[in-house]
Amino acid sequence: MKALKMCEVTARYRGADRDSLSRVSFEIEKGEMVLLLGARGAGKSTLCMLANGLIPHAIPCTLEGSIETFGRDISSLPVAEHSTKVGIVFQEPENQLFCMSVEEEVAFGPENLAVDREEISERVEWALEIVGLKGYNDRPPSSLSGGQKQRLAIAASLSMRPEMLVLDEPAYALDPIGRLELYSLLTDLKRRHGLTVLIAGRDAEEAATCVDRVALMSAGRMVRTGTPAEILAAPEPLRSIGVPPLQVSELIEALGKKAKRFEYGAITVDALAGQIGEALGEAGTDR
Amino acid sequence: MTGFVDLYSENDTFLHRLDPRVKILSVLLLSLLAFVLSTLYSLVVLLAFIFLLLFLSRASLSRTWFALRFVLRFMTLIVILWPIFDSAGTPVWATLGPIKITEPAVWRGFTSAARVGCLACVWYILMFTTSQRDLVRALVRMGLRFDYGLTIAISLRFFPSFMATIYSIIDAQRARGLEFNRGGLIKRSRKYVAVLVPAVVSALRTADSLSLALQSRAYGAKARRTYLRQLKMRRSDFAALAIVTALFVVPFVAKYVFFVHI
Ligand SMILES: Nc1ncnc2c1ncn2[C@@H]1O[C@H](COP(=O)(O)OP(=O)(O)OP(=O)(O)O)[C@@H](O)[C@H]1O
Ligand SMILES: [Mg+2]
Repeated sequence: MKALKMCEVTARYRGADRDSLSRVSFEIEKGEMVLLLGARGAGKSTLCMLANGLIPHAIPCTLEGSIETFGRDISSLPVAEHSTKVGIVFQEPENQLFCMSVEEEVAFGPENLAVDREEISERVEWALEIVGLKGYNDRPPSSLSGGQKQRLAIAASLSMRPEMLVLDEPAYALDPIGRLELYSLLTDLKRRHGLTVLIAGRDAEEAATCVDRVALMSAGRMVRTGTPAEILAAPEPLRSIGVPPLQVSELIEALGKKAKRFEYGAITVDALAGQIGEALGEAGTDR
Repeated sequence: MTGFVDLYSENDTFLHRLDPRVKILSVLLLSLLAFVLSTLYSLVVLLAFIFLLLFLSRASLSRTWFALRFVLRFMTLIVILWPIFDSAGTPVWATLGPIKITEPAVWRGFTSAARVGCLACVWYILMFTTSQRDLVRALVRMGLRFDYGLTIAISLRFFPSFMATIYSIIDAQRARGLEFNRGGLIKRSRKYVAVLVPAVVSALRTADSLSLALQSRAYGAKARRTYLRQLKMRRSDFAALAIVTALFVVPFVAKYVFFVHI
């Protein structure tokens, strides 16, 4: 059983004059961490909301093809049922926090699901601990930093004990440190808690080193999926669909123009440093 | 700006610790009491009692003063205006053209001012010592539908950011050369449309993403939801409620059963 299985999915919002997704087939294994990469309007949010059932249950949309999450067809289940399987975190932390305290925010989901009081209390402590907000229970969410708000939104989703977490451009409003913290949290969720994670983003910079797979989207189509190295190493294919290449591959590109020694392949600074080191070593022995 | 909506200040007095439901009921009872009492003396005693409580709530002086300023102004206005419009009774103290100032009217002015003071201050005590969160929670536990409670909570939560949006739009429009304090009334109000339209659009967008967030957090999944925090009446809560009830019932019975003039 797959965490997510989309087969030839075409989606068009009500009133729109073209499809937002066209014949997308895409699968995510259980426990996998996947980056959904694409420029503005590529259809990332649409795919995220499909995975969670918000489309078509909350946002009217005509659908073709089939979508299953954990073996169950999304159209057969209401969103509330879905939220116990697939949690979603949106781009703007501000608009998804609406309670007056951190604790209430995290308790909101399980309360709606009529979970026992003791159990809610355990889940709240558990979720706050994971996201590093232990002891913040009574703080108003508005007093938190951007990164903390985003992590609170994640905790609020985790407390419903989903098996998969979908994050739509979670790093968008964050500073570089906030991003690093976010990705280390997500990696932790995958490794230690076995969560399946789908991250949508417009660039791959921080995610490149921690995801298992990258899915590249453009104009409503799934272009390619593969390992980070397969998808991200060469800058030109990314650039052609409006996705900024990794800084590492831009450096290789710049070096290559001068020395023709470097080939695309490294996606981390360390790997590239190794290549440069070797090249320098060879240059030393040449002389 | 937030001070305008939220008068609560965190502290640990017995008033803060009291169950919010008890506080709401007590404030209602004391408000009713202000209508039961009809002599200036008894109202002044009640006002003194309420001031004592206000003092015990240990709100900061600046906050108390901020809140009381309006009440005091309003009370002064009543004391001055009442005798001008009410000329019943004797003796007449002064006659200014058609206006007759009589002694009973002056006292009635003071009585009404005291009553207004009681009503306002007793609600201030509630606002000073109860967080919005507890207020909403108490209202829901007292039978308000959860969706209404949630709506109130969300409005309170988003009001400051809505105001912040309006101010940043005003700034943005100013930066583009829109001058707000120029031109006649019509011209000016037209300029404010340039603020209101983006503000409303942004509010609608917020509402949209909020509704998605609510649904993805299983809002409305079960007909009966559970609550993490329950309100529990402790002995002190029962005691406080008993005292306030007595404070209301004794004068009430005295007045309407034994016809004591208080
Ligand atoms: N509610 C809607 N009604 C009609 N069309 C929509 C709606 N939401 C999105 N679209 C359109 O669907 C297409 C895909 O949008 P989507 O939001 O999924 O893209 P995205 O990859 O998330 O982009 P972004 O990076 O801007 O968030 C876009 O062309 C967009 O204009
Ligand atoms: Mg999007």
